[in-house]
Amino acid sequence: MNKLRTGAFHTGMILLSLLWLGPVLWVVVMSTRSFDDIAAHGVGSLPRSFTLDTYRQAWTDGGELRALINSMVVTVPSVLLSLGLAAMAAFALSRFRIPGRRTILLLMLAGNLLPPQILLIPVAKFSELTGLYDTLWALIAVQVGFGLGFYTFVLHGFMRDLPGEIQEAATIDGAGTAQIFTKVMLPLTRPALAALGALSFTWIFNDLLWAITVLRTDDNMPVTPALLGLQGQFVSSWNVIAAGTVIAAVPTVAVFLRFQRHFVSGLALGAVK
Amino acid sequence: MSDFDPGRRRFLGHLGLAGLGALGASSFLTACASSASGPAAGNGSGAVTIQSNLSSPQAKAAMEKLIANFNAQGKGTASLNTIASETFRTQLPTYLTSANPPDLYTWYAGSVANDYASRNLLLDVSDVWKSLGDYPQSLRTLSTDASGKQIFVPMNNYWWGFFYRKSNFAKWGVQEPKTWTDFLALCETLKSKGVPPIGIGLGDTPWVASAWFDYLNIRINGAQFHRELLAGKQRFDDPKVKAVFTRWREVLPYFDPKGKAYPFQEATTALLAGKTGMFLIGTFFADAAPKDALGDLDFFRFPIIDPAVPLAEEAPTDGFFASAKTANPTGTRALLTYLASTEAQEAYVKASSGIVLPANPKAKASDSPLVVKGKAMLDEAKELTQFFNRDSSDALQPTADTALTKFIDKPDRIDAILREWQAGAEKVFKG
Repeated sequence: MNKLRTGAFHTGMILLSLLWLGPVLWVVVMSTRSFDDIAAHGVGSLPRSFTLDTYRQAWTDGGELRALINSMVVTVPSVLLSLGLAAMAAFALSRFRIPGRRTILLLMLAGNLLPPQILLIPVAKFSELTGLYDTLWALIAVQVGFGLGFYTFVLHGFMRDLPGEIQEAATIDGAGTAQIFTKVMLPLTRPALAALGALSFTWIFNDLLWAITVLRTDDNMPVTPALLGLQGQFVSSWNVIAAGTVIAAVPTVAVFLRFQRHFVSGLALGAVK
Repeated sequence: MSDFDPGRRRFLGHLGLAGLGALGASSFLTACASSASGPAAGNGSGAVTIQSNLSSPQAKAAMEKLIANFNAQGKGTASLNTIASETFRTQLPTYLTSANPPDLYTWYAGSVANDYASRNLLLDVSDVWKSLGDYPQSLRTLSTDASGKQIFVPMNNYWWGFFYRKSNFAKWGVQEPKTWTDFLALCETLKSKGVPPIGIGLGDTPWVASAWFDYLNIRINGAQFHRELLAGKQRFDDPKVKAVFTRWREVLPYFDPKGKAYPFQEATTALLAGKTGMFLIGTFFADAAPKDALGDLDFFRFPIIDPAVPLAEEAPTDGFFASAKTANPTGTRALLTYLASTEAQEAYVKASSGIVLPANPKAKASDSPLVVKGKAMLDEAKELTQFFNRDSSDALQPTADTALTKFIDKPDRIDAILREWQAGAEKVFKG
């Protein structure tokens, strides 16, 4: 009976994970097919050809190298800056009696409820006014601005639950506010920061909407719009796009694997006390 | 033509429309912005930037070659900026209205360009047209805006037709039809052989159905009525429009039933595999065909229904227009003159794999039999139309998609569908 249950469980889980892995496998298989094969038999058919030239095409013709560099140039500072600012804001809001702190926090949250689409035109116009339009700085500024509210909200919740006695002890030992923040609070917040870091890296790296709103030069485009650029007006080489997608997925997967431990412990933290 | 993808359009596309709407409101912002000319431009004082939506690898390479040639001539410098075509479509209004816009854009001739011209966003290129004396009058008219100045420089056009595989037609023992009666007979023969006669691909690309509407309308009611209808001067619930659908119903049973599910790219695959007999599509579809099938392709013109109606064909024209705010009008015009030259157009046709006809009458098109036949067909036509969205607007296209898809599903409800279409169109025309 027990064996049967275990067996059923495993079969079910394998099927379920296949459901998740299926599309990924499909993309990987498609990336190794030739264009003529796809054109003759359709995107859904079984592969009848094998080539790795698609990766070369995506890398050189599609300009993926340049796009990946742009993506990293935007993503890394954006993640560091937004998490750094959010941590400071969260520290201040959760640990000090700042007048109107509840309102500030709610305002930040409310900003997140706003659909970004309605802000596209204002953001484009504003980036022009400031002279940042079509530079990666504009994208960094937008990503930091839009991430800040949510990160602050999450970190605020996390920091609020840290025991106040730790801070008091540090104060008695003569630590100033800055020291408490860097030496006490930040190390304690590490799991939350790591989890948020992995999340925000994925979000910013995969962003398409803001990139095409504030950028218009192809040399400046990060990887997601560059992938879109592999599509022709009418007809697209799906194999090259699939190859480009696989390449573009590598950094996010790497970051996730690196921070996986924190990610899981970050989620569970606070669950058991 | 129209590379619509309603899914993404709804998400991003409305942004573009919203951008136009917001124009008035934000004009003060633009005014401020122009004084704060930022370092955003990134181009030197002399270089002319071309914002191009030709993102498919061959077309992109062809454009790069043209720009390199131009720069080598020493009459000015230009830099090419290729943007994904779907991104380009949604962002074009933003580019044009920005304080420091790119100088030159690839886009479509006709009402789309005229619409921007009426907002004073486009550069007057009448000077360039002075050197284009040998261009046909039809292209000149097409490139002229309501106030009588030229705002567009055509690069090339292509045609629509019923494409088929020569080997399959030979195998089935059938010939190209000339008239509507021949066409119906052909459909019947193919059906009796177990082949769905007419391929179509409406999933994700519902705009393909507009080709049927356009063609039936210009064959039955003529190009003049068609243009007036699309400009809002005629009504969609007019009995003349209903006559179009009465004809369409005659061939509806011959449509590939699977065509509603997949996009035109897959309909191409089906045609090439002999799973459908023929396919009304623009020449761009050939890019989706494997190289070895290209030589086997042939086409025939949309059959004549009423010989009294002047012969018209769809010939969507692509080309360039320039921003009115360009910092370097002289350089922009020099580049446009180069792009319109025989040399540049021949180089483009040679480098891009697409089956296109150069706009310059002196430029030689590719001498493949398919292109020769296509050119002859367009030369024979009394009038040229663009395509539904190019002759009307991107805003009107979705109303057509809805109406035509409904018609193909439920042809009995045509009266109600046309009433709804008229109501939808009125909303669009009122803006």
